[in-house]
Amino acid sequence: MVVPLGAYLTVAAIVLVIGIFGIFINRKNVIVILMSVELILLAVNLNLVAFSAALQDLAGQVMAMFVLTVAAAEAAIGLAILVVYFRNRGSIEVEDVTLMKG
Amino acid sequence: MIYAIAVFAPLAGSLIAGLFGRAIGDRAAQAVTITCMVLASLCGITAFAQLVWGGAPTGTVLLGTWVDVDRFHLAWALRYDTLSAVMVAMVTTIATLIHIYSVGYMSHDKSIARFFSYLSLFSFAMLMLVTADNLVQLFFGWEGVGLASYLLIGFWYDRPSACAAAMKAFIVNRIGDLGFALGIALLFWTVGSVEFSDIFPAIAAHQGEFYNLLGSNFPVMDVIGVLLFIGAMGKSAQIGLHVWLPDAMEGPTPVSALIHAATMVTAGVFLMARMSPLLEYAPGALAFVGFIGATTALFAATIGCVQNDIKRVIAYSTCSQLGYMFIAAGAGAYQASIFHLFTHAFFKALLFLGAGSVIHAMSDEQDIRRMGGIWRKIPITYTVFWIGSLALAGIIPFAGYYSKDAILEAAFASGTGIGMYGYVCGVAAAFLTAFYSWRLIILTFHGAPRADHHTMEHVHESPLVMTGPLMALALGAICTGFVFHGQFIGAGWHEFWRASIFNGPNNHVLADMEEIPSLAALLPSIVGIAGIATAYVMYVLKPSLPGALAERFGPVYRLLLNKWYVDELYGAVFVQPYRRLARQLWQVGDAIIIDGVPNGLASMTTEGSGRVARLQSGSLAMYAFAMLIGLVVLAALFLLVR
Amino acid sequence: MNWALALPEIVLALCGMAILLLGVLRRGDTTALCGWAVLAAFVLAAALVATGADGHAYHDMFIVDAFARFAKLLILTGAALACLLAMDWNRREGIARFEFPVLALFATVGMMLMVSASSFMSLYLGLELQSLSLYVMAAFARDDVRSSEAGLKYFVLGALASGLLLYGISLVYGFSGGLDFAGVAQAVASPELASPGFIVGVMFVVVGLAFKISAVPFHMWAPDVYQGAPTPVTAFFGTAPKVAAMALLLRVLGVPFVHVPWIPVVMLMSIGSMLLGSFGAIAQTNIKRLMAYSSIGHVGYALIGLAAGTVDGVRGVLIYLVTYVFMNIGSFAVIAAMRRRGRAVENIVDLAGLGRTDPGLALALAVFMFSMAGIPPLAGFFGKLYVFLAAVQRGQWTLAVIGVLTSVIGAVYYLRVIKVMYFDAPGEPFEARATATSVLVFGCALFTALFFLFPSAIVASADAAARSLF
Repeated sequence: MVVPLGAYLTVAAIVLVIGIFGIFINRKNVIVILMSVELILLAVNLNLVAFSAALQDLAGQVMAMFVLTVAAAEAAIGLAILVVYFRNRGSIEVEDVTLMKG
Repeated sequence: MIYAIAVFAPLAGSLIAGLFGRAIGDRAAQAVTITCMVLASLCGITAFAQLVWGGAPTGTVLLGTWVDVDRFHLAWALRYDTLSAVMVAMVTTIATLIHIYSVGYMSHDKSIARFFSYLSLFSFAMLMLVTADNLVQLFFGWEGVGLASYLLIGFWYDRPSACAAAMKAFIVNRIGDLGFALGIALLFWTVGSVEFSDIFPAIAAHQGEFYNLLGSNFPVMDVIGVLLFIGAMGKSAQIGLHVWLPDAMEGPTPVSALIHAATMVTAGVFLMARMSPLLEYAPGALAFVGFIGATTALFAATIGCVQNDIKRVIAYSTCSQLGYMFIAAGAGAYQASIFHLFTHAFFKALLFLGAGSVIHAMSDEQDIRRMGGIWRKIPITYTVFWIGSLALAGIIPFAGYYSKDAILEAAFASGTGIGMYGYVCGVAAAFLTAFYSWRLIILTFHGAPRADHHTMEHVHESPLVMTGPLMALALGAICTGFVFHGQFIGAGWHEFWRASIFNGPNNHVLADMEEIPSLAALLPSIVGIAGIATAYVMYVLKPSLPGALAERFGPVYRLLLNKWYVDELYGAVFVQPYRRLARQLWQVGDAIIIDGVPNGLASMTTEGSGRVARLQSGSLAMYAFAMLIGLVVLAALFLLVR
Repeated sequence: MNWALALPEIVLALCGMAILLLGVLRRGDTTALCGWAVLAAFVLAAALVATGADGHAYHDMFIVDAFARFAKLLILTGAALACLLAMDWNRREGIARFEFPVLALFATVGMMLMVSASSFMSLYLGLELQSLSLYVMAAFARDDVRSSEAGLKYFVLGALASGLLLYGISLVYGFSGGLDFAGVAQAVASPELASPGFIVGVMFVVVGLAFKISAVPFHMWAPDVYQGAPTPVTAFFGTAPKVAAMALLLRVLGVPFVHVPWIPVVMLMSIGSMLLGSFGAIAQTNIKRLMAYSSIGHVGYALIGLAAGTVDGVRGVLIYLVTYVFMNIGSFAVIAAMRRRGRAVENIVDLAGLGRTDPGLALALAVFMFSMAGIPPLAGFFGKLYVFLAAVQRGQWTLAVIGVLTSVIGAVYYLRVIKVMYFDAPGEPFEARATATSVLVFGCALFTALFFLFPSAIVASADAAARSLF
């Protein structure tokens, strides 16, 4: 059985929406936000690979590789910033990240 | 070359005094700026004389390329024609006298070098404006004048009222500038150039074009003319945008003299004359100019009659006299308006500097209710004040007589409804002008002394460095009228102006002026003398009369005393709603201090500092949500417009 | 394949790695050494950019044209000036570490790659190289809670924005069949060919880039990050990345998406940014926050030129960016000079009486404020003039009128700073500032004040750059 392109896109869209909602509905923990970002990138990769297969074009898969690599670097930097923040503030609750406003 | 020196010498003086004022000391700074100004005025007068009597050719002095990008060409260039040369000679002469006077007047101030640097900068900006060869350079000078006036009005920056006045002048002028800038943009759009030499020949070709706005048609030239005039209204303090001028009295008196006589306020009148080739094809705009001018002339004169601050009386008289100049421009007699500008520069500078001398003598008192009985002690000041007032009131043979009568005759001769309106307003204002001038003289110099004993003991004539310029200006206030009227507006005007001012083929107002009924021509002089008589009756023969009148017509008196409540009206209509808007938008934001809103006299603190914000709440979730909303809105817009 | 086209980027990246090694391996304090080395690398790269040739390379993923060169030179200038500002600041704040200039260098390499990208793949890599370095720079004062909060906020929102951008790229790829700009433009050669999926993809891409230039409604990170990040970092954020992202937006909307009707969207963002920038700034007490709102407003003005979508419009945007870079660096240099008793102060009231305690500094800040308010004859006026002219020529009166009105409103808060400096009672004077800071302040002030004397060279090169895009 061949899975149609539309199915891949739908799944990717759902994962994207979960990722986005994870960022702003979550009120607890910054780690969850990092995971949500990974979800968004996952959705992107799914899209790219699905399109790549459907178009019979390799560029999409190459792009997906780059995205994977960059996502790893991004996660590392995100966690590092989070550690610095935690050392200063003693908390990683999302609602505490409101020192500056107005 | 001489011409370029006249323009740039003040800049050099200003830079030297401004940058090295501290290093070289106050004395040297004064010497440098005054030397530069004297040099400039000598060059300015020479350039003028060469053009008028020497028969030198008109032209432009090219200084360099400014902007040169495909269709848009601009050069730094000085225009050398009669109109510019008259202005250069007048500005440099008056500014030089004011510089010299300031040596005496500002001798006790702390920052003398700064003051002289600003004064020279102001003169330079004005010279740049009047010699501009294209609208952008003119706008550059225009804004430079605005900036320098801001610096000078706020010169005593430790006085809150001076700061407020400086802000007010700046912001009101910005409103005018907006109109001016739009006018330039439209003109560029229509003609495709901002250089005068390209614009003027092209005007006639665009005469029949219209803008369609909200279903009705507006002639292009009228729209541009009105927009340019809005700029002129801001600078020349015409009704509606006049509110900054009386407040500008907060600056030192020589600054007031410079603003009111030679620079700044005359820029608007100059602009009308410079753009005469355009205005001649914009009858609607001309009518508007005449109407505003006439209204201002009368309106400002009524206020002048009840003010008690010596400088404010003169300030409102400037407003009123500028109104006259616009009456003339509206009637198509630009020559008459520049002539009045020219004579007015002398007698108004004289009156202001005279007032400065009085204030100096009275130990910084400015309220005429606390003066009186000093005419014997300061005879020179008293004499020049008389001369200035006679010229202002238009009494023969003083300078104002020739120029003011010419304006009213032109208004009468133009034969239009607006022209008649201008004539009537002008005659009424002439009466009021004479009245408030003599009210000022009588209250200031005559009667029993109303100042305290201590002040009276110190009343003294000013030093020669101040009275010298006064006498020179007095000479100008006496002579400039009958010396120059033949050339400016009389038989020789064609040769004098050459082509620097344009009169349309159907505009014969300068010739028709000679033809009007003799009663109409005499009327201004008659009402002038009547005004003097009225003042004499009210303040010398029956001193109880003014008080009784004020009581009898209380509402009218209060209306005038409060300047027709224009400031209050603006406060209620513009300033307050603006503040409310700002506050309401940012109540959500934070606890805020807002001051410096236009006319921001008071600082304003909104509610408590810990208020949780709704918009910029600091919360990540909120920010991410805003991005999502933005995405959805933009995507919807995208799909809709497709 | 002409790999030498990317020589400036390659040289800069190699220099970066070498300087990193130098910093790690050499004993003792290498901060100053690395700082100067990075500045030298910037100068070298700028020379290579200025003398390089035009053309395509790397399978059309990389393009060098007049537009890219113009933007790169501007980026390098902004980055170098910000690094110069950072040296003294970091030392005084006790955060002087050699990684700082290296990070700035890598961010700059990323930005240069962005403006030279001609495929979504190189676009993404450049953008991420830039963003990842900037996240760290925002949090560089790692013992300061505000700085780390700024870093965290910028990271989370930036990651979201680049996620959205990527998702958009994947859709654009899927619905047009290619990743390179020219191919996409060919596949969607008229508005009718754009499928809804493609349109949604374009939208996501625009959002991702709009975030980087902090256009409304994707601006909300800017005030917090501007306030929290160390001042030189804020100066950097306000200049080079803005230029790069704006240039990228110009190219993306002008080349692959040229047939998509994006003008109303840009107009909406422009109007929103101008309004929010001017009204938001009125309320601020912190000068760095004020600058953040002011930068949002400036982005709005620059977008006017983009919305015109003509050569003149793009030229206006480029001129606007040039004037903005210098005004911005200069203002932040003044802010960096605001120190009392070993601490940085950054409230507007701290400027009280500066006109008397330090007339030179006050005059320079006044020049920047007047220029940002768009008062002739300062540089900022010309930036506005050219974008407004472009809008008027396209008949976009709404934009021009709103632009003029908001710049009048904007004049209020700029004037307020001037009022505080000149008319309020003076406080304690600021500490003596470093020579580099003075050079930056007065150099930028001179540029801003005297721009009107020599605009033709800059306008002409901006014109050539704009033409190369069409």
